[in-house]
Amino acid sequence: MIEKKICMLGAFAVGKTSLVRRFVTSCFSEQYQTTIGVTVDKKSLTVDGTDLTLVVWDLYGEDEFQKLRRSYLRGSAGYLLVLDGLRRATLDIALRIQESVTDELGPIPFVALVNKHDRRAEWELTDHDLAELAQRGWPVLMSSAKTGQGVEDAFTTLSRALTQAPQPSSRADHPDGA
Amino acid sequence: MAPNSHPSVPDTFYRALLARFLIAVLEHVGETRVRLIGEPPPWLLRLYPEAEHQADFSIDTRTPVLHNFLHDAAAAWDAQNNPIARSGFWTDHTMFDEPRHFDALAFREGDQRLLLVQHHTETYDQQAALLQEARERALRQHEQNRGHQRTHQVLTTKLADSERSRDDLAAILQQLGLATLLIDGNGHVRFLSDSAVRLLEVPPSSASRDMHWETLLPSSKPDRLALQTLLRQPVSPRERARCHIETPTGRRLWLEIELHDDPRDSRHRIAFLHDMTDVYHLRRLLELKAHFHDLIGKSRGMTQVYEQIHDLARVDSTVLIEGETGTGKELVARALHQASARRTGPFIAANCAGLTDSLLGSQLFGHKKGAFTGAIDDQPGLFEAAQNGVLFLDEIGDIPHPVQTHLLRVLQEKEVTRLGETKPRKINVRVVTATHHNLSQDVAKGVFRADLLYRIRVARLQLPPLRERKEDIPLLVTSFLTEGRASMGKTIHRASPAAMAAFMDYHWPGNVRELKSTIECAMIHCKGDTLDVSDLPSEIHQTNPVPPAGPTLPTDERSRFVFALGQARGNRTKAARLLGMSRATFYRRLTELDLPPS
Repeated sequence: MIEKKICMLGAFAVGKTSLVRRFVTSCFSEQYQTTIGVTVDKKSLTVDGTDLTLVVWDLYGEDEFQKLRRSYLRGSAGYLLVLDGLRRATLDIALRIQESVTDELGPIPFVALVNKHDRRAEWELTDHDLAELAQRGWPVLMSSAKTGQGVEDAFTTLSRALTQAPQPSSRADHPDGA
Repeated sequence: MAPNSHPSVPDTFYRALLARFLIAVLEHVGETRVRLIGEPPPWLLRLYPEAEHQADFSIDTRTPVLHNFLHDAAAAWDAQNNPIARSGFWTDHTMFDEPRHFDALAFREGDQRLLLVQHHTETYDQQAALLQEARERALRQHEQNRGHQRTHQVLTTKLADSERSRDDLAAILQQLGLATLLIDGNGHVRFLSDSAVRLLEVPPSSASRDMHWETLLPSSKPDRLALQTLLRQPVSPRERARCHIETPTGRRLWLEIELHDDPRDSRHRIAFLHDMTDVYHLRRLLELKAHFHDLIGKSRGMTQVYEQIHDLARVDSTVLIEGETGTGKELVARALHQASARRTGPFIAANCAGLTDSLLGSQLFGHKKGAFTGAIDDQPGLFEAAQNGVLFLDEIGDIPHPVQTHLLRVLQEKEVTRLGETKPRKINVRVVTATHHNLSQDVAKGVFRADLLYRIRVARLQLPPLRERKEDIPLLVTSFLTEGRASMGKTIHRASPAAMAAFMDYHWPGNVRELKSTIECAMIHCKGDTLDVSDLPSEIHQTNPVPPAGPTLPTDERSRFVFALGQARGNRTKAARLLGMSRATFYRRLTELDLPPS
């Protein structure tokens, strides 16, 4: 069984924890509950005939109170970069995070996931914004943790990219560096 | 122990302290293995149950964050400056899927590579609550901003739409040339179209100001009160108010104001101003014509006539109008009818001259079928035809004696009996008579019944001849030129000074009627736009029938005929023209006046 660490990244309140909960337990709560630090979940799935266990690191959202701790990224094979369609500011944060991760881990697979698609009519993000992301070469998907729309697809798409991507250079699993 | 030195801390104290703060102290012993120092806390056993029986155990992916932190810890343990590495909070789930919150510190103490793992409950909850509140506030603020932006966008769009609609409507209004006002509930003019500005001659400095409609439409008190009332009430479409104003330059305007409710605000009124000044003037002219016809003039004589007509219109008595031929006796009778309460009734005019007694009697009183030869049907007379109105009997002095008797009875009894009938019919007719005779002389001569004279001469109205009111001649000329232009289609606007002088010099025996026919005749000959003396009939400018001494034409009819014949050197056609009558009438009058035909 292949086990892959992936991170949920993005601004606060974009729905990272809700997406994980929908993916792992098929549940959803309207109540916003902020994440402090990290919560790790696992889910096994089969992608194109390959059995895979995703170790999902649900990191706190970035804002002025919590900045991304780069050590959490260590060993990540890929990540879901979550945006809130209702808040255009989450696009800027996503752009910044993507640069940080690339600096830290190199060009690992990721999927930009624009969440809250159930309120599409209210989005601040425009088709033009999405087109610009696509022009950057980002794989962009829509999702709604509330309805479940696009959630499975997002994780599957990332997983497929993980299984097809070259294996990252092996990292020492020994804290003393031995 | 020295009195000032700190007391030593017993190991039990540290143990209690660590237990109180839910801290597990681990010493790194190699790779991922650690050794628990002290008793294993219960929370640790839920994550690593093997720690209950063995001091050493391996940190593995059961606690992936702690496992990941070992890399940072190793860096701290190996660093020269002996730093402390912090893991930050993480949440692990126990084997019973209970969330537990932790953080860890790594540092070196002497040769010991220590790892302190703390299980948080209250501390985590406090921090989480603070962060939750801060983020929820930020989200609320964002929602508010979005709401404001949406509202702003909606309002901006509506404003743009509204401005576009306003501009479109204003452009249409200006194109239509409608003089339009929008008046608000306080009477202030909120909109004034360009046409209204031009019509009302609003100074540019005032046009953009919030003027009150009463300032904009300076009308008389009755007009203002009527408009105030209309503005206060909901108006039905097309209801109009009339208003007479004077513009800042002194121009007098007659306006009809069409009021509509503003569909957007029931307190507002939309007013369309229709300039009816030309219509008013034309209507006024028509009214004057209907009421006075040729009675044009501002001379004292005519003013007195107007006053008399006004006074006589208030009563219902019989009136005798006296005056020379052509002075407008029938027109006075018509004016009297129009000014009186009988204006809604008929006005019947009959000329009593030249008719036999039977014919005149039949005409006036009617007859029954078979009453005389030719009476093939029942025929009501003019008295019946004039029921509730006015019967004007011209040339009353010429009616035959038998008809005088019949007429007297009708006037006395106020009932008429048709010829051939015995049963009288009640009548309600005002009788107005006219004559150029001196009826008193006729009574003295026995040709006119005295009692009838007294009956018809309850009120008298004497019309002045034109030669006695020559100041009215320019007015009359202008009026007749206007009439002539309309009827002939010629563009003759004035009389030359020479022609006017001729008019003023001539003594006008035929009075206004003669003046009118003279101008009509001159207009036929006139080629330009000005009536010249050469266009006038020869007797007007070549011979002066007026004695140089002035208006010495005899007022007695017989003498005037003699005078006219003398002026015309016996030419009866010329004499008739001088007197403003037809040759036939002239001959008849000559016979009646017992004058020789030559």
